Amino acid sequence: MEIILKIVGIGIVTCLATMLIKPIRADFSILIAIAGGLMIIFMIINYLTDIFSTFNNIIQISGLNGGIYSFLIKIIGIGYLIEFTAGICSDTGNSSLGDKILLGGKIVIMVMALPIVMNILEIIIGILPV
Amino acid sequence: MGIEIIFKITAVGLLTAILGQILKQMGKDEISTIATVAGFIIVIVMVLNLIGDLYTTFQGIFNL
Repeated sequence: MEIILKIVGIGIVTCLATMLIKPIRADFSILIAIAGGLMIIFMIINYLTDIFSTFNNIIQISGLNGGIYSFLIKIIGIGYLIEFTAGICSDTGNSSLGDKILLGGKIVIMVMALPIVMNILEIIIGILPV
Repeated sequence: MGIEIIFKITAVGLLTAILGQILKQMGKDEISTIATVAGFIIVIVMVLNLIGDLYTTFQGIFNL
């Protein structure tokens, strides 16, 4: 598990570089912080692929409906994406813009989840004796 | 892809700061401004490439 040492090292080096450059050029320190954060994300993103392939195997073994699973993966992906993007916006000092990106992502997730909600409602209506 | 990009950005920042100071001392204020802006644009392009890579990777992993 040498990856954790790499992540910690990148964090420390980014901190020191930001500290070094801040009195000379403050605008570069923000860009260094963004680049360091993206490097850490790139290191862990390969593990995400492993996790999702394992989930895929579990779904195939159990014989569940694959459509809803892919929906779920997409929703998780949108969640991570808006989180990272809002973080970058907050780093540059535009935290209100980051909040708006979060709101947009939440609404997109809600719109994507609406068909599942309707499915559940239809199943419940079908079960109920009318 | 790795830690070298952080060193690169720091080096470009230091270099443009020193270059701007030297040019200002020589009395070439307008060239100093252009050098500063050029360094900033170089670093912004590097960071934008990183962000673009991130979004492409996300599209691949999550089928967005």
